[in-house]
Amino acid sequence: MSTDAQPFLDLDGVAYAYGDDPPTVTGVDLRVPAGAFHCLVGRSGSGKTTLLKLAAGLLRPGAGAARIQGAPIDGPAPAVGFVFQTPSLLEWRTVLDNVLLPISLKRQVTAADRAAAHAALERIGIGGHAQRYPGQLSGGQQSRTALARALITEPPALLMDEPFAALDAITREGLQDDLLRLAEDRRTTVLFVTHDIAEAVYLGDHVSVMERGRIAFDMPVALDRPRAVDIRYDPGFNALCRDIRRQMAAASRMAA
Amino acid sequence: MSGMRLISVLLFVLLMLAWEVGVRLSGASAMVFPAPMAIAATLWDGLVTGFLWPHIWVTAAETLAGFALGCVIGFAAGVLLAEVEVLRRLVWPYVLASQVVPKLALGPIFIIWFGFGMTSTIVITALICFFPLLENTLTGLAAATPEKRDLFRMLRASRMQTLLRLKIPSGLPVILAGVRVAIVLALVGAVVGEFIGGDAGLGASIIAAQGMMDSTLMFALFIVITLMGMAFYHCTVVLERWLLRGWHKGDTQ
Repeated sequence: MSTDAQPFLDLDGVAYAYGDDPPTVTGVDLRVPAGAFHCLVGRSGSGKTTLLKLAAGLLRPGAGAARIQGAPIDGPAPAVGFVFQTPSLLEWRTVLDNVLLPISLKRQVTAADRAAAHAALERIGIGGHAQRYPGQLSGGQQSRTALARALITEPPALLMDEPFAALDAITREGLQDDLLRLAEDRRTTVLFVTHDIAEAVYLGDHVSVMERGRIAFDMPVALDRPRAVDIRYDPGFNALCRDIRRQMAAASRMAA
Repeated sequence: MSGMRLISVLLFVLLMLAWEVGVRLSGASAMVFPAPMAIAATLWDGLVTGFLWPHIWVTAAETLAGFALGCVIGFAAGVLLAEVEVLRRLVWPYVLASQVVPKLALGPIFIIWFGFGMTSTIVITALICFFPLLENTLTGLAAATPEKRDLFRMLRASRMQTLLRLKIPSGLPVILAGVRVAIVLALVGAVVGEFIGGDAGLGASIIAAQGMMDSTLMFALFIVITLMGMAFYHCTVVLERWLLRGWHKGDTQ
């Protein structure tokens, strides 16, 4: 079986409704190739978080099929790391213990694990904070800790739910660059949910726009990698953002 | 802060002085309204002759035993009811009924069941401590955010791991607030329990002093009970600070 031909994540006509409410996700097809960075953009309530939870196996689709590496998704998969909207750190544990949580839930933590966690914190720029508690960190440092925690088991894929939405612009840019670097180093497949078009274009190889539970349209992002701060002021970058914004407006008019 | 403390001490001295002078000038009977100096003398006497100590030990032992029993059972029941939804819906009305009934009204039946003395008082005290722990454990175990629960699901944590490593630590501040309420109620439970069925202890001594119309002794006992309550409360605060030493102020979610 060739893994190149087969997408890493494959959603085929998935739908989901919370209880008896109208469906939040209706008939979504989405294919994310291995190693790709795919962004899902949409306004609040467009169903993007629900779609992410379906991909994570936290929710079971009411219709359609969801597959990871060709196998049907049956609950949370070890191949997938999840980064939440809030850092969701355990306040009573040190930064180091928080990063080691995925390992310590499975087995005894070894000296090698601790060294790996220290290295991960170092790489993401908070090496000096390993023994501090989350309450003593800034918002950006908390988000970095959450990212290090998601990557400690080196999962082939990361699902991210607006992880940087609560950060100030400068801190957010720093985290975006760190994320791009880490994902490229490991060839991690990423599905990234955001409501920020510029963020989606800056990070993604591909942007899908969600509107009322459907993918309204998607487009590839033909910008060179590695990407750096300057690209944000590039005319091509801005044209892409404007294009997506216009199409979103059109899609929302059509849906209404 | 130390300035405020000084003023607070001065205020106390002033109040005592006013009380002493007021009693002496008005010539009120010591049986009705004993003077602070007389109360202090009785208290000192009780401590030096050793008359008070056995009563202090009995009440302290009842309070602590009832508190420990009530807290352990309340916490265990809270965890069980929080984890087993069906059980919660099944037994909650009974739990509530057992708490709405004035527990001291159950004193006489406990005396029939357990006899006069410490056992009845300990049972009443435990029953009083049970509820704040149950209630706060139930609330506390629901405190972990949905995202943190999802995190533990994503990490494929077992139910036991989620309970021990997420829900109980997340709820600890709320559970410990219940412990603080329980220790105060425990002392009330022990003292009032002794009113009903005690043959020794500070509560029983109050009843005995009442029989002798000895108001001075009663006030001395109030002071002992108050100091004891403050000491116990302070112990729970220290315990709480130690258990929550990892929790730091600042907002994290």
